[in-house]
Amino acid sequence: MKWSQFFNTSIGKKLLVGATGLFLCSFIIVHLAGNFQLLYNDGGKAFNAYAAFMGHNEIIQLIAWGLKIAILLHAFIALQLTFRNRAARPVKYAVNPGNQTSSWFSRQMAIMGSILLIFIVIHLADFWWKFHFGEIPTQNYGGEEPLKDLYTVVQVAFKELWIVVLYVIGMIALSFHLIHGFKSAFQTFGLNHVKYNGLISFVGIWLFGILIPVGFAIIPVVIYFK
Amino acid sequence: MEHYNMNLTLKVWRQKNTDAQGKFETYPVSGISSEMSFLEMFDVLNEKLINEGKEPIAFDHDCREGICGACSMHINGRAHGPWAATTTCQLHMRAFKDGDTVTVEPWRAASFPVVKDLTVDRGAFDRIIEAGGYVSVNTGNAQDANSILVPKDQSDEAFAAAACIGCGACVAACKNSSAMLFVSAKVSQLALLPQGQPERKSRALNMIAQMDKEMFGSCTNTGACEAECPKEISLTNIARLNREFISAGFTYEK
Ligand code: HEM
Ligand code: SF4
Ligand code: FES
Repeated sequence: MKWSQFFNTSIGKKLLVGATGLFLCSFIIVHLAGNFQLLYNDGGKAFNAYAAFMGHNEIIQLIAWGLKIAILLHAFIALQLTFRNRAARPVKYAVNPGNQTSSWFSRQMAIMGSILLIFIVIHLADFWWKFHFGEIPTQNYGGEEPLKDLYTVVQVAFKELWIVVLYVIGMIALSFHLIHGFKSAFQTFGLNHVKYNGLISFVGIWLFGILIPVGFAIIPVVIYFK
Repeated sequence: MEHYNMNLTLKVWRQKNTDAQGKFETYPVSGISSEMSFLEMFDVLNEKLINEGKEPIAFDHDCREGICGACSMHINGRAHGPWAATTTCQLHMRAFKDGDTVTVEPWRAASFPVVKDLTVDRGAFDRIIEAGGYVSVNTGNAQDANSILVPKDQSDEAFAAAACIGCGACVAACKNSSAMLFVSAKVSQLALLPQGQPERKSRALNMIAQMDKEMFGSCTNTGACEAECPKEISLTNIARLNREFISAGFTYEK
């Protein structure tokens, strides 16, 4: 089987979805750690320096473009599979088993993923695009050059109620997506072993499903009420 | 358990042939014994329909002892009805109460076209087996039982996978109509045994290629198949199938 054929099979496509999905999972840990600097009351000194570093370091920029490609690839293949899966049952059942045979989260992957995609597009347009290609104010913290003041852009955005609500919804979608998605990726790679299944499931639910989304969601909420 | 009789309302999918539009028909059935099997209840209904000069309901059945996998029925939203690890023929009427309404549908999947009423064509499964679910061996005298050593754990796992009866409940239960549990059982039973080694890689690749060609959906690891499988085929088989497919895809030279 040629590589092109391999990655065009249902399992081959799932492998791409799983690999890009876990890559995105690793990214959100770093992203959250950096974002917590938005809660410092230092006028943005730490956060803006961090943003400048991330925006200029070549290796990090390479990874950042890789991430955008990963998101597009992940969403494209996952939705393609979803439509194919729908087509595999042209006549629906009159009675469905609901949660008796599968978890609710596992059946909402495409919906939560689509909400996430909309969220990611708005999020990137709001901050990433503005930071790199838009006009934003600068601040001088006594360094050699003034820094772009993304900190203030974020603080202003999160005074807007609808943006805060949008971010909270986005993070609920992330939570629900990863409660199933994280452990599902391991099964897709064939990594199912009694000695590790409990740990994988635990990390998927508690770290990626709860701790990280709550951590992200806290930031806009705290800034809004500050 | 106490024996009792019940009256039920059945809503059954009726469809003349593959191309016809189907619809639900409602049938009252009375005096059903709690000791009857679900198929015997259908026999009672069909005799009544025949006596009234009506067309009986077509449904698949053969062994009526849970080993052939023919008796495909989606009952109240569950493949083979509400009991775990049971085929429809092994489902007893004590699973229901007097006055219940029971909705019976055929397996719903593009790959399993309805032939008539509750009967579907599961030929897609046969074509997947033909693509690689076998071992090519020279025939002749049976070998001595211990000439090929098989570790006990491995033989137990292979045997558990070989319990699959090809009933299609996994496809019927899956929201994606995915056949991964079935294919994983068929690939596993041979991948685990020495006799399966020569064709191990081509088997995994060819059976998956055929599965995709038959338009079954892809797996999203919801676990509905395992929950509905009458032979309790485990999801660990799907993980093994994924491993078999990955290693074959990365190393098979053809
Ligand atoms: C930060 C963003 C995201 C992360 C971290 C993420 C992570 C994951 C992971 C780990 C999986 C499991 C892969 C597997 O089962 O092999 C997955 C599956 C999936 N993702 Fe995402 N994803 C993200 C965004 C999206 C987006 C934007 C979409 C769609 C528009 C999407 C749609 C899907 C779908 C449909 C699946 C289904 C597969 C299944 O049910 O197992 N995801 N995702
Ligand atoms: S895996 Fe289970 S549900 Fe699927 S065909 Fe085999 S016995 Fe039936
Ligand atoms: S009729 Fe053979 S398994 Fe039910």
